[in-house]
Amino acid sequence: MHDLIRRRLFTALPTLAVVVILSFLLMRLAPGGPFDGERPLDPKTREALMSAYGLDLPLHEQIGRYVWRLAHGDFGPSLVYRDFTVTDLIARGLPVSLTLGALALLLALLLGLSAGMAAAVRPGGRTDHGLMLVATLLTALPSFVVGPLLALLFGLWAGWLPVSGWGDGAPSYLVLPVIALALPAAGAIAKLARAGLAQVLAQDHVRMARARGLGWPRILIVHALRPALVPVASFLGPAAAGLLTGAVVIETVFALPGLGRYFVQGALNRDYPLVLGVVTLYAALIILFNLLADLAYGWLDPRVRG
Amino acid sequence: MKPALILLGLIVLIALLGPFALDWRYDAIDWDAVRADPFTPGHMMGTDSVGRDLLARTLAGTRVTLGVAAAAALVSLVIGVAWGAIAGWCGGRIDEAMMRVVDALYALPFMFVVILLMVVFGRSILLVFLGIGAVEWLTMARVVRGQMLALRERPFITAAEAAGTPPAAIVIRHMLPNLAGVAIAYLLLTVPQVVMIESFLSFLGLGVQEPMTSLGILLKDGADDMDIAPHAMLLPAAVLVTLLLCLTRIGERLRDRFTQ
Repeated sequence: MHDLIRRRLFTALPTLAVVVILSFLLMRLAPGGPFDGERPLDPKTREALMSAYGLDLPLHEQIGRYVWRLAHGDFGPSLVYRDFTVTDLIARGLPVSLTLGALALLLALLLGLSAGMAAAVRPGGRTDHGLMLVATLLTALPSFVVGPLLALLFGLWAGWLPVSGWGDGAPSYLVLPVIALALPAAGAIAKLARAGLAQVLAQDHVRMARARGLGWPRILIVHALRPALVPVASFLGPAAAGLLTGAVVIETVFALPGLGRYFVQGALNRDYPLVLGVVTLYAALIILFNLLADLAYGWLDPRVRG
Repeated sequence: MKPALILLGLIVLIALLGPFALDWRYDAIDWDAVRADPFTPGHMMGTDSVGRDLLARTLAGTRVTLGVAAAAALVSLVIGVAWGAIAGWCGGRIDEAMMRVVDALYALPFMFVVILLMVVFGRSILLVFLGIGAVEWLTMARVVRGQMLALRERPFITAAEAAGTPPAAIVIRHMLPNLAGVAIAYLLLTVPQVVMIESFLSFLGLGVQEPMTSLGILLKDGADDMDIAPHAMLLPAAVLVTLLLCLTRIGERLRDRFTQ
């Protein structure tokens, strides 16, 4: 197990380094500099600014400095939000995004696993067909369709829930965004869980358990769930990436002050340090999640521990 | 598969021919009918907040979305088939190195790479599909490589080699035609992916730019206005979802047929 972790870390850190360096180079490739305004700057001012931001150094030293500061949690200054550093902005947005993402992942697992179990008990039955149809629909509906639709139905027409803002973390403000973010992932998880369970339920130890007179709930949860979760665990990596991209849209739709909104604003305003910082953070989160997925995989399936 | 094909054909046909039957262009402003309701004379689906015909805009948006999707899918086909074919044909170390690259790229957060590209190189429609195509070729490369490896072992390839056919001719004349079915199936499965990415980017304002329109932009405009005019969002949403479902269904059926 420790060996597995070590091997994974060994590939995770270089991947992260490649992401950071590539994004950094891309940003430097961009036409136009941060100090190109309407009027050309006085050469002396320009020089002073360039050296204040370290832009006069050779490229490899700039990257070195950036990575060094990153390692100390300093993402540099934001070019658009003048009074804030990128670290400030991330510190404000990250808790919102993490709350949203974690709740959505939990809800998706809960919905997806229960639907998968309900469908797998009688493969080919009416429940199975109905649930899998819904799951297919959910996976095909992108979050930027589901989000506004939910807001329209339950927010504006029914008037049950607020559709915009954060409300200082009041639970009612989170309901619709979390559901909108969770539904596509729930559909995918339901499909995977059903496929995994159908396979496990056809095996001898389940027939044995049936023969001993155990009820379905006990068989499903105690005997069949763990091996059937293997495909679900391997989906967690892509699911994290999907939730992060989905969160960008959901935060925009529901006007939540999360990381995704800073990212979109940064991208629209060409705020390079902000975009760079958020991309780096996203990459780190996705890599971390892939690592966790691998660990879950090792726990569920002893054969891969090696 | 048949209903999906018919529905897809209908949408494409209407998107292409519809404008000839409408009185208003997608970017023309009708000052006398700003925010018109559906079924007003001249504007069957009403108009948006600046008086542009919603039906005309939805048709134009469908054309742009499908056009971008087709172009990006072709880019991904070219890169994916070339990469996969070279890896599968050469085998050994080269194959291993090339597939390692694919594995590494799979781990990257793609949507963010595309957004990064948009930020750096500006938001032109050409870049939208080049960028999307450049990140969507990985699955195609894997599939093509797998097929190449399987094909190499087949007797007719050995026969062609024994007859002294040059390697390039073997690949182009004997192997690529045998790959076509699978490649087309995965090409079709790439299209809904690309449609999703394009709409996602346009929804955020990072893809197709005004006055051009796409289903993503229409959704965004509709969502901003949905408390007064929900139909402005529902129409493009319905078209987009139907497109995605049809394309996925057709692609999956073709894939199952070619990879038994």
